[in-house]
Amino acid sequence: MARPAHPHAMAASKPGRTRTAPPRMPPEFPMRGRYRAYTLFDATGLVYLLLGLLALRLAWALGDGEAAWSAAMAGFRNPLYLAFHALALVSVLFVGVRFFRLFPKAQPPKLGPLEPPSAPVILGGLYGAWIAVTLLLGAILAGGIF
Amino acid sequence: MSEVRKRRFVVARFDPDRDAEPRTQTYEVPCQPDWKVLDALNYIKDELDSTLSHRWSCRMAVCGSCGMNVDGKPTLTCKQAVEGYGDQVEIEPLSNFPVIRDLVVELEGFLEKLQHVKPWIVRAKELAVEAGPVRQSPEELELFTQFSYCINCMLCYAACPVVANEPEFLGPAAIALGHRYNIDSRDEGAHERNEIFRGEGTIFSCSYANECSEVCPKHVDPAAAINQAKFNAVIDWATSLVLPRGGR
Amino acid sequence: MKHLLLRLEPVVWLLFGQGILIGTILLTAWVLVVGLLVPLGWVPADALAYQRAHRLAANPIGRLVLLAIAALPLWKGAHHLRALAIDFGGAQRDTLVAPLLYGVAAVGSLLAIAAVLRI
Repeated sequence: MARPAHPHAMAASKPGRTRTAPPRMPPEFPMRGRYRAYTLFDATGLVYLLLGLLALRLAWALGDGEAAWSAAMAGFRNPLYLAFHALALVSVLFVGVRFFRLFPKAQPPKLGPLEPPSAPVILGGLYGAWIAVTLLLGAILAGGIF
Repeated sequence: MSEVRKRRFVVARFDPDRDAEPRTQTYEVPCQPDWKVLDALNYIKDELDSTLSHRWSCRMAVCGSCGMNVDGKPTLTCKQAVEGYGDQVEIEPLSNFPVIRDLVVELEGFLEKLQHVKPWIVRAKELAVEAGPVRQSPEELELFTQFSYCINCMLCYAACPVVANEPEFLGPAAIALGHRYNIDSRDEGAHERNEIFRGEGTIFSCSYANECSEVCPKHVDPAAAINQAKFNAVIDWATSLVLPRGGR
Repeated sequence: MKHLLLRLEPVVWLLFGQGILIGTILLTAWVLVVGLLVPLGWVPADALAYQRAHRLAANPIGRLVLLAIAALPLWKGAHHLRALAIDFGGAQRDTLVAPLLYGVAAVGSLLAIAAVLRI
């Protein structure tokens, strides 16, 4: 049986003349068919939240001094952190691909005289930026540049 | 010769006067190979059980009446061939709607949301007839044509997880139609609609499931409309902060 | 609270959108190098030894990038976790859940600003 929807989902402002059976959610929600990718997409919110907080902790440690920074970096060698970051990498890639797929059609068709570029151009720009920034930032962080 | 194939149709039933809650009833239907799901339902009603209630009309996917969940997916039953299904087919009323009876859902909630977005040309001042027709270029027409193909079949509402959980969310078709008028060069009501979009309409509740566009039988792509509308609503909000309007 | 949330929605949406766009673009290299390659030893650890890390971060661009990586994903995270909560029948508790999640994102963002300024 599908999960119940909100009891007032799609309700009219005034009740009809007969009683109605309550609305139910799509049967495939949450983890069957295309809903699985959707639910996982939302669930990556937890990964992003934790990534932000971990980066915040690192930034704070950097301001605290060498001991704090080295301790924080050493902590990332813990297998739990490694597993989390592996999951995080997959999540970030998944979010990027899904979001970029939606991005072109989400651009307003016309903003005054301005028209958005065509979808292939937008996608090229997005993926180009993603790859370029990843290579550049990766090289910087890994000691290759600067 | 055509090959008739017997299929079991497990159909949701609900009589508000007799049933505490919905139940199912199974019918054996000899399906012709060229049948649509609607043909099977009409066979049930005509030959097996005249108490079955379901909506349908044009039989050619333009009226939007015959939407139902078939094997869990929102479907236009007059458009969907029976051939792709297995030995057993489950038919339920559209998800996310209160059910009046059997496969018939309450439409009034949708009609209210639709009216709320003022899906018509809004002008600050009506033009005199003597002024002649309003001219619109093919390019201007093309901007919104796709969003005008909506037949109000509500499959998108049945597919949307946000409609399921947020009663005030305007929903895919209503937002797409409001947006269709916002980007129509003849219309001057964008600010009013954007205030509804940002306000009780809560279009920002859309969480990019994209299911609405996946199930739309007319390729309206309401997900595109909603997300374009979000962008436009933010611009409208930002400009109204800087240039407050004096009200219409 | 509901009206406040509605009024703030455009701002939250913009931050969330950048959390996905800019956040994802920056996070890929960050997670790869800081989260995996350095801890695993596949990149020498002195690439992110304190002196070098401090030098990279203690300039306007470095601070800005670090701020983006720390703050923007919080908004994507908060917004999506809120959507997830609602999808699982949480419309009624949204007036508690949303301020909590956005509050974490807001406080985290302020702390991130403070953090990059004191480097």
